[in-house]
Amino acid sequence: MLQVNKDSSRWVYRWAMLVTLLTFPLIWLGGLVTTHDAGMAVPDWPGTFGYNLFLYPWSAWLYGPFDLFVEHGHRLLASLVGLLAICLCVVAYRNEKRIWVRNLCFGFLAAIISQGVLGGVRVLLDARTAAMIHGCTGPLVFALGSFIVMACSTDWRRATQNAYAKPVSRGLQIISYLLVPMSIVQLFVGAHLRHAQPTWLPPFFTSIVHTHLLMATLITLSIFGILVLVRADHNRRVLELRPPANLLLLIVVAQVALGLATWIANYATPWVELTPWLAKYTVQGKGFWESMIVTGHQATGSLLIVFSLWMVCRVATRTNQAENAQPMINDTSVQQENSTELVAVGGGIV
Amino acid sequence: MFFDFHHRYNRFLQANLWLFPIALGIVVCGCSSEKIEFRGNQLHAASLSMELTPLEIRRLADRAKDATELLLGTADLPTWPATVLPPLDMEKVVRSSGPVGRDKSKVESGLFRKHCVQCHGISGDGRGPAAALLAPYPRDFRRGSFKFKSTPLGKKPTHSDIVRTLEKGLPGTAMPAFGTLNDSEEFANDVDALAHYVRFLAIRGEVERRLLVALSEQEIDESASLEILTRVANDWLAAESHSVKRPEWVANQTEYGRLESVANGKALFESELTACVKCHGAAGSGNGTSQDFDDWTKDWTIRAGIDPANKTEWKSMKKYGALKPIIDRPRNLKLGALRGGTSREDIYLRLVLGIEGSPMLAVAKKENGNPGLTDDDIRDLVEYVYSLSEGARNNSSKQEFDHAASE
Repeated sequence: MLQVNKDSSRWVYRWAMLVTLLTFPLIWLGGLVTTHDAGMAVPDWPGTFGYNLFLYPWSAWLYGPFDLFVEHGHRLLASLVGLLAICLCVVAYRNEKRIWVRNLCFGFLAAIISQGVLGGVRVLLDARTAAMIHGCTGPLVFALGSFIVMACSTDWRRATQNAYAKPVSRGLQIISYLLVPMSIVQLFVGAHLRHAQPTWLPPFFTSIVHTHLLMATLITLSIFGILVLVRADHNRRVLELRPPANLLLLIVVAQVALGLATWIANYATPWVELTPWLAKYTVQGKGFWESMIVTGHQATGSLLIVFSLWMVCRVATRTNQAENAQPMINDTSVQQENSTELVAVGGGIV
Repeated sequence: MFFDFHHRYNRFLQANLWLFPIALGIVVCGCSSEKIEFRGNQLHAASLSMELTPLEIRRLADRAKDATELLLGTADLPTWPATVLPPLDMEKVVRSSGPVGRDKSKVESGLFRKHCVQCHGISGDGRGPAAALLAPYPRDFRRGSFKFKSTPLGKKPTHSDIVRTLEKGLPGTAMPAFGTLNDSEEFANDVDALAHYVRFLAIRGEVERRLLVALSEQEIDESASLEILTRVANDWLAAESHSVKRPEWVANQTEYGRLESVANGKALFESELTACVKCHGAAGSGNGTSQDFDDWTKDWTIRAGIDPANKTEWKSMKKYGALKPIIDRPRNLKLGALRGGTSREDIYLRLVLGIEGSPMLAVAKKENGNPGLTDDDIRDLVEYVYSLSEGARNNSSKQEFDHAASE
């Protein structure tokens, strides 16, 4: 029962993992494009200054203006991700027996292409709203790729083939399910702050900031709730719940710190008289570390969605109640088997 | 729940795939309608007369905005009338305006929207999206007043004054330092171009304000508008000639002054003659008794008959873009962070010129038999204020210096 099903495709898993791992730096680069307002650094699309995207002279790219470097790099990496996603679809079509997973792979490719088209719309119309939507949907595409990885993982197959005499508690299910939409909403709200339109009035922006802070509080509390619940009596023997919960804690701590740092990097702090350091701190316009902090906050937001989705997968695959109260799998042995299987399929977060 | 996931997923795909092109269409249509233009100065229109209705105020502001647009163009394409001598480089102004991006020749434009618009707003009205959350509020350029400059109160700042603020930023505020742009060849001219655009927005804003006043009384023709622009432009052209000369000793950045100079400066700081302690407190910690607002706030409150401390009264102006009035707090001189700079030269300029638009006035000079400070007194006062700042504390004579300051 615990062995990996023969219809599973390790190759689908590996390709999905490769494409998804490359999507994360793509999000970083996209974030840098926003941070440096480089969306229009290349005024044409799909070409680059009249060249075919892939034939643009590398010396002009590498030694040209920084915003051009970032924007063209973003396009090149996106193209690579798109090409690899095509390979993923082929591999999935040939090897994956589950139709819905195949469809997910095709949906993933469609989403990547749509992202590219949306990026093109942003350039061709010089539309900042399109940039904002592009920024919002990027992490969702990343999450979709991550979901394929999770669905092809050993843990998924094993967990869905088992029946649990004592499934994951209802409270943990509810919080985990809520965390995903909350993270997505938070990402959308954050994208509004990143892509604030020059015509927005201050009260509107202020309300978005307050919403962002409120959502941050709710998400932090939810993650603390998950941390408590995975260790509660009812769930504590399901050890597979702990890695995503622990990583969520790590992510949320980093994200809160990055959020504060982002505000200070952009607008300094209102409490300047607390210390001489704060009083003397001068925001550096387009400074390197400032850019990294702001972009890092955005990129980590996408990780929050992915890890909350991972948590949901772990919870959801352990909620099928055994009708005849079959004996619950010995958790220790599951853990040992898991470790072996993960190594066997090449490791990975799931 | 995932056992039947694929059934649900397939159903969802079949049912909702048609939504995608519609969503994309909405995005394309929605995005293509973005239009960015200067905002009318409703707040000033409202402060001109309390008898005008909101509709009349909006109409008046729009008329002034349109008249200004005829003279100076739009946010995407600023212009300058050929008959008026420009105090700016219009090529740099045009480069700084408009949307952010590079043209086919790779020249970057839209510098103001890239670096400044988030706080200062598209019209330079200090009402960018983030403005309400910042303290102090971003500067409203439209009065033509700037705090940190080398010209006397009431005079326009020089181009170098604006460049200096852009390069060094204002510590403890949201105003960034863009000096690092100069280190890069590709951005080396950006600060200079931005300074030209900031001055353009200040001129545009001031012309609009004057047109508002004129239009509130009677209709005006194009020649009258040009006359107003000429007067404002001449003020800016004359700015360089008003820049004050600095005495040689202010260039001394490393050595501390004479100890007796610091002691005398302290006595002057605490004297009735300078009244520094009234705002900055006896220790220079900014905890004096004075509570005042800056001129940008007084412009639409006290001068319009509104009490800035009365929430009911000032809230009536919120719909025209007013932000909550905040007290212009005196600087804590001991934190080592003076917004206009901590060098002797910076302190000297703040003392002899004051800070435009703030309660900080210039010190009175002893002239024509009037009571005031001599040149030596000013130097002593500068030494004392400098002694409170971090710059002096970093030098090797810190202990001596602190001792003299404390006595």
